[in-house]
Amino acid sequence: MNALRIEDLTKTYPQFTLDKVSFTLERGRIMGLIGKNGAGKTTTLKSILNLVSPDSGTIEILGLPSPARELECKQKLGVVLGGIDFYRDKKLTAITSVTRRFYRRWDETAYRRYLDEFSIDPGKRVRELSAGMRVKYLIALALSHHAELFIFDEPTSGLDPVSRDELLTIFRALTADGTRSILYSTHITSDLEKCADDITYIKDGKILSSAEKGVFLRSFQHLHTPEDAAPLTLEDIMVRTERREFHV
Amino acid sequence: MFDLLRKELCLAVHPSLYVFIFLGALVLVPAYPYGVVFFFAMLGIFQSMMYARETRDIYFTALLPVRKRDVVKAKLLLAAFAQLSQLLLSIPFAFLRTLYLSEGNPAGIEANVAYYGFGLMIFGVFNLVFFTRFFKTAYKAGAAFLIALIPSTICIFAMEAVVHFPGMEWLDGISPELLLRQIPVLLAGIVIYAAAWFLAYTAGAQRFSQVDL
Repeated sequence: MNALRIEDLTKTYPQFTLDKVSFTLERGRIMGLIGKNGAGKTTTLKSILNLVSPDSGTIEILGLPSPARELECKQKLGVVLGGIDFYRDKKLTAITSVTRRFYRRWDETAYRRYLDEFSIDPGKRVRELSAGMRVKYLIALALSHHAELFIFDEPTSGLDPVSRDELLTIFRALTADGTRSILYSTHITSDLEKCADDITYIKDGKILSSAEKGVFLRSFQHLHTPEDAAPLTLEDIMVRTERREFHV
Repeated sequence: MFDLLRKELCLAVHPSLYVFIFLGALVLVPAYPYGVVFFFAMLGIFQSMMYARETRDIYFTALLPVRKRDVVKAKLLLAAFAQLSQLLLSIPFAFLRTLYLSEGNPAGIEANVAYYGFGLMIFGVFNLVFFTRFFKTAYKAGAAFLIALIPSTICIFAMEAVVHFPGMEWLDGISPELLLRQIPVLLAGIVIYAAAWFLAYTAGAQRFSQVDL
C-alpha cells in the first residue's frame, strides 16, 4: 500500500496555478519535495493536510481518500510546519495534555520515552525551546500517536548543522522499520542527499520529475558540463534548471 | 465537543476573557446601563480571537484529527461558554440587587427576567454576525468585531430604551407577577440564541471550508 498518492492535484490562485500535480510515496520511504520559493511545495503539502481546498484532483493517504475520510487520515498523520510556532507562551505539558485527547492511539509511555530520547523538558514553554527542539517536540507528539505518514515543511530551515544532522538521523530512524514514511519539503538539498530515498521536483506549479533519488539524479545528467569534475548534486540540478538571464 | 472546548480553555483563550465574564457582577451597581455588561463579553470574545490568531491556534486546531468545520465549532463553543457563564454568574448579583437596591434602575432596564432574555438575543445577533464574518478569512477579527458591534449596539440601545416607552414599563419590573410576565421574553431569547448559534456555526463552517490557511 502507498503511504501517499496524489493525482492531478490542481489549485488556481490569481497569480499562480498548481497544475495537475501527481506523485506517489511508498511506505517506509523518505521523499524530498524540492523547488524554489513559490513553486507550489507548501500549497501541495497544505492540500494534503486539507488546510487548502484544491480545485480538483485526488489525494489518498494510507489508502484512504482525503478529505472524504479526513478524521481517519489525520489520526495517521504527523505534521511539522517549519517556522510556525504554536502557543509560544504555553508549557509543553499544557499542549500535550490537550493534544493527546484527540488521538485514539495515544501512547503515554512512548511519549515519555521520546521526550527522554530527545532530551526535551516538558515543563518548558515553547518560546524557551530552540528551533531544533521545537521540531523534535512535534515529532515526539506525532510518534506518540503512532503516526504513519509524516509531513515536514522546511523542518530544518534556520537550524545549525549539528541540529540538522541530528534531525536527519531521526528521520532515517523513523522510516527504518518500513511502516512510517516521510514527505519532506526543503530548500536545503544537501539534507536530501543524505536522507531522501525519492525526490519530487516541482517547478512553477508543475511536477518536473518524481523518481528514486539515483534515477532522478541520472535523469538530469544532460545538465552536466565538461567543466564539472563531480556528478551533479541536487543543488546543481535545481540551480541550472531554474537559472534565468537578467538584462539590467 | 468537550475536547474542543477544553482545548479552547487551556490553550486558545485570552486570560482577559475570564475578567470580562466576572463583569457580570456589574448588575449590582446602582444606576448603571446593564446592557454594557453584554458588551464586555463581546469584547472578551474578540480579544480571544485576536489571541488565537497570534498563537496560530486555528492552524493548530485544523491539523488535529477533527473536521475543518470543528475549528468553527470550537470558537462558537468558547463564545457560548463565555456568554452563558457571564449571564449565570450575574444572576446571584441580580438577586442581591433586588434585596438591597429595590428602588429600580434609573439608567435603563432592571436586571430582571426580560433583561436576560434580551441578553441572549443580543449575544445571538453578535455571534451570527461576528463569526460568519470572521470565518470568511479566519484572521480579520477587528473588521468582524466592528461590523458585529453595529447591530449588537443597536439592540443594546433598543433594550435600554424600550422600558421607557409608554405601556412597556412591565419589562422594567421586578415584582413577582411582572417577572412571570417577562418569561416569554426569556424563552424567546433562548430560542433566538440557540438558532443564531446554529446558524453562525453552519454559515461560518461553510465559509471557513473555502478558506486557504
